[in-house]
Amino acid sequence: MDTETSWAATSPALARWRAIPLGRRRQLLSVVLLALALAFPFTGVNPSHVDAAANAYTYVLLALGLNIVVGFAGLLDLGYAAFFAIGAYTYGAAASFQLKPAWSEAWAPLVWLGQVSRVPVDGQPDIVQLHFSFWFMLLVGALICAVFGVLFGAPTLRLRGDYLAIVTLGFGEIVPVLALNLEGLTNGAMGLPGVRTPRLFGFDFGFSPLPYYFLGLGLVALAVVVSLRLQESRVGRAWMAIREDELAAGAMGVSHVHYKLLAFAMGAAVGGLAGVFYVAKLTTATPDMFRFPVSVMILVMVVLGGMGSVRGVVIAALVLSFLQSTILQELTGYVNALGRQIGSGWLAKLQLINSLELIFGVILVLMMLFRREGLFPSVRRVSALTREQQAALPSRGTTVTLSWADPKPAGASPRPLLEIEGLTKRFGGVAAADSIDLTVRAGEILSVIGPNGSGKTTLFNLITGLAPRDAGVIRLEGEVISGLRAHEIVQRGVARTFQNIRLFNNLSVLENMLVGEHTRLRAGPLGAIFRPPRVREEERRAVESALEVLDLFGNRLIPRLDHPVYGLSYANRRRTEIARAIMTRPKLLLLDEPAAGMNPAETLELMDLVKALRTLGITIVLIEHKLDVVMDVSDRVVVLDHGVKIAEGKPVQVRNDEKVIEAYLGRRRRAA
Amino acid sequence: MSSQTDGRPPHADGRPPGAAEPILQFTDVHTYYGPLHVLKGVSYEIREGEIVSLLGGNASGKSTTMKTVLGLVRPAQGTVTFRGETIHTLRTSEIVRRGIAPVPEARRVFPRMSVIENLEMGRYTRRGEPGWEAELDRVFGLFPVLKERRSQLAGTMSGGEQQMLAIGRALMANPTLLCMDEPSMGLSPGYVEQVFDIIKAINQQGTTVFVVEQNVNMALSIANRGYVLQMGEVVLAGTAKELLENPLIQKAYLGSA
Amino acid sequence: MSVFDVFLQQLVNGIALGMMYALLALGFTMVYGIIELINFAHFSVFMTGTFFGLLLLNALGYTGSSGALTGLALVGTLLLVFVVTMVATGCLGVVIERVCLRPVRGVSGTAPMITTIGVAFILINTILLTLGPQTKPFPKIIPDRRWLIGQAEISLSQVLLVVVGLVLMMGLNYLVRHTALGKAMRATAQDMDAAKMMGVDVDRVIILTFFLGSALAGAGSLFFGFYYGFTAFYIGYQTGLRAFTSAVLGGIGNIPGAVVGGLLIGLIQSLGGQLLEVKWTDVIIFSILIIVLVFRPAGLFGVQTPQKA
Repeated sequence: MDTETSWAATSPALARWRAIPLGRRRQLLSVVLLALALAFPFTGVNPSHVDAAANAYTYVLLALGLNIVVGFAGLLDLGYAAFFAIGAYTYGAAASFQLKPAWSEAWAPLVWLGQVSRVPVDGQPDIVQLHFSFWFMLLVGALICAVFGVLFGAPTLRLRGDYLAIVTLGFGEIVPVLALNLEGLTNGAMGLPGVRTPRLFGFDFGFSPLPYYFLGLGLVALAVVVSLRLQESRVGRAWMAIREDELAAGAMGVSHVHYKLLAFAMGAAVGGLAGVFYVAKLTTATPDMFRFPVSVMILVMVVLGGMGSVRGVVIAALVLSFLQSTILQELTGYVNALGRQIGSGWLAKLQLINSLELIFGVILVLMMLFRREGLFPSVRRVSALTREQQAALPSRGTTVTLSWADPKPAGASPRPLLEIEGLTKRFGGVAAADSIDLTVRAGEILSVIGPNGSGKTTLFNLITGLAPRDAGVIRLEGEVISGLRAHEIVQRGVARTFQNIRLFNNLSVLENMLVGEHTRLRAGPLGAIFRPPRVREEERRAVESALEVLDLFGNRLIPRLDHPVYGLSYANRRRTEIARAIMTRPKLLLLDEPAAGMNPAETLELMDLVKALRTLGITIVLIEHKLDVVMDVSDRVVVLDHGVKIAEGKPVQVRNDEKVIEAYLGRRRRAA
Repeated sequence: MSSQTDGRPPHADGRPPGAAEPILQFTDVHTYYGPLHVLKGVSYEIREGEIVSLLGGNASGKSTTMKTVLGLVRPAQGTVTFRGETIHTLRTSEIVRRGIAPVPEARRVFPRMSVIENLEMGRYTRRGEPGWEAELDRVFGLFPVLKERRSQLAGTMSGGEQQMLAIGRALMANPTLLCMDEPSMGLSPGYVEQVFDIIKAINQQGTTVFVVEQNVNMALSIANRGYVLQMGEVVLAGTAKELLENPLIQKAYLGSA
Repeated sequence: MSVFDVFLQQLVNGIALGMMYALLALGFTMVYGIIELINFAHFSVFMTGTFFGLLLLNALGYTGSSGALTGLALVGTLLLVFVVTMVATGCLGVVIERVCLRPVRGVSGTAPMITTIGVAFILINTILLTLGPQTKPFPKIIPDRRWLIGQAEISLSQVLLVVVGLVLMMGLNYLVRHTALGKAMRATAQDMDAAKMMGVDVDRVIILTFFLGSALAGAGSLFFGFYYGFTAFYIGYQTGLRAFTSAVLGGIGNIPGAVVGGLLIGLIQSLGGQLLEVKWTDVIIFSILIIVLVFRPAGLFGVQTPQKA
């Protein structure tokens, strides 16, 4: 950073450039890069370099696809080349001489569409030659791969990260073996014979690298736009939330099943595009093109560029592809010449290309040891706090309103909001919740207290569906919610915070907030990619809503909107977590020791907020250890001990209850 | 090593606390977890033969204190000495070898090892030394249930029994100082009483005890002295009697806002 | 040959093969048990071991065309080759742990596993670049003696493999069950922090685990060499994945499970190859890998760990 600033100081041009807003700068850069890429083949370069570039685009596509799975969603896929293979064989089989089905009238419509031909064979029944349109198969290949992505992904959903990697590796091994053995479909090790080259309005792409170069460039541009748009969308945020903390993501209403499968499907679809493109360019495919080393090479590209960084992955994939196709070859020439000069036979014969996989291995190890975020990690626009902001006195939110909240005079309707009956949970014989009955009335602040290990957090986990209950029923506004999954319970209006803050650490404050808004937003992958006005509008409203909620915390969080939360102070992280929970627009907010680790002033500020939330119509259940806080803020107090509710009532009653004092402070010893 | 046991006062009971020399001493210890300042310059002094209780609310720095004693967390500033030797720079195994035995929070017995194997692990740093039989007899004397279940897997025992095992395991090394982190947590009242009786008994056999507790009354009823931690600072220190009588203790312990 | 004899023959072959997979699976399982890391580098340590053994045999003057040894010469050579190779692979494992894996220990997520993939690539390609891509014949120093059981025949090398394998496994079992080091290993695997608090030097235990696991892989690599009579830079991956499947089948982290899993995979390979075409072996084995991981992640004999509550 220092060097950049000093450059900026000395170079007025750079200073002017840096004054342009980042979004605009990115657009300008993209246009310039695209123009350079379009001009590249006409700069008089060797046609073999154009060909190499077209091949490199295949790998960029693959790396971008894997980046969706590994980088965005955090799912390590070690068999990604399987999708490359499936895409390749899909087009390969549909546009080559490999499959020769017998002619029947059913093929007639396809003949009319120009997708197949009837070929007479001497002395035998006629056969059908398939030559499906490349453009059509591009779509079909992507779709088939997406389906396989879901098929391969579905079994792994419940598995830990490392088991998931192994299962994907297993699929990645099975696919090339099948390709080798199912000779009828693939022609085995011989390779597909004569895959047709693409045609566009009668123009045959043929064997010149030029049309493939532009086609590849187009596909890469498409994948880049899709990746970038997904990243900054509801879908991308959901992926990153799962990557950072699956449990907390569920508590914000993100269905991990849905989004993991979506990541597998979209990653696989991009791999399929790459496969169709590559086989059309190469006009053949053999099983060896899709084995483990290929999966690893794609992984190396993603790791080198930076998992989750679109820019980094593109650069790394280009560099490594050229390393393979051009750079090592040319270097070999120099090294061999040097070897002849100095009379070293070893150097004169050295083939550097053979060391490619060694280089990959070295890259993987070095990156993991020294730079796990990659060479070009995702850029984060962090605006440093201004001097004024740093010096500003903390202010509380002045206007405590939320446009969506539905304030009701507290206690006006004593209808129960949450009803719990006979709730029981055992951990290996120890009851963490022992047939608890509990009613939470709408509009009240109810505190749950009890010594450590008395089952308070377990109660929250059971209500929010993060832990399965052994017995009992939980109803929200009369509707049974026990048995629903965590994200379904959030959607019904129950939000929570965690005792040991569970934020999405590498996301910014605003992104954390927007994940909280997840269940309110509609945009799916298509909406995220095409960004119709409806989606822009809901994103704009979501940001507004986030600002509104953050305003409750005065100037604590708003100046830090785009800061990653790992850098926030402890108290600010607590606040962000509470704000994120409020974003889900809960009817019932469960706060698990929100004041832990806060100093007295901060605690006081927080409790004022809790009271303010209640006046907005949000019912609050609070787990808290600081008893005087509890006594001050709550309408009612429930005391748990060993999973049993031992007291319930107004704070004064509970405070003087003999059983409570004993549970909390321990029994006075028998006269010793 | 045998001189250690010989040189130890047989009964610390009744001895005025000031008379014994400090064996564990924290001097102005600061600890951080990343940016989080957990211990903000705490000083404690545990004297030979005492039971000292460390009290405080959640996130007050109690467990961090225990981890610091055992070298699982390194202080950024300040010193920890044990019998005059600086130990905060040592590895955990070295610290344990010097005679400090932990009874960790949540017991942490080895679930897929038998009772007897767990006890062997307690004597890991002194393996091969004579005295195994004697220590085993002592532990079995304190906890007859462990003798009955010597070949049962620890993970299949109840929470209370596991706590007995965790204490027994720590005693197997015949430690000078026993560091206990919330031994009463999650135990039913009957077991809690039993555990504290045993702590008392162990102390009378000559072991110094440093115990982190949330069960204030119980902890102070057996302790000689206590410290109260709040937000990483010692806010109250004194003899157990003084602390029990201090009207602030309940408020302070439960976290005053 | 009757159906029964064919079965018996494949049983014999399967058990001999299974011993090799079991030795290799043990290394996976021990490392996973202790630091929950799937160690891809283990494949290539195994492969490198075959070359250690080969180079040593060559240095002793035995080449692919040498004749078999008998008597004391055979026993002495085998003993020497096994000890040296096992120590060499063990040291390789230690270097890998110390240089590449310790810095990423405790890093959450995929980083440690990706590191092991990188190490595997480095080892494979180092061998490829220094010793060449050709298949190398392994000296056949074990005499080609065969005995008939019914119509099935059992060879001396198979007998030797089974005996050596059993001895090594019993040694490992003794070490893990009855020595202080073994107990420290198990304690570290069950609760690393608690083990630390008992005074176990966890770093040392992990290093020793890598040494032992890699040494067993070294023994496995000699099994490969003597059994198949060749080696090449690429052999680690396929054999390694099969061994890994063995470890998963027996419940990864479970030492006796790895042995049973290895034998099962050996049998599946030999009997499966008999029933179906050999080209489907890998599909069968990887399907087993996937099905076990998905439906019984704790393995065939996996028991739920008792709650620590």
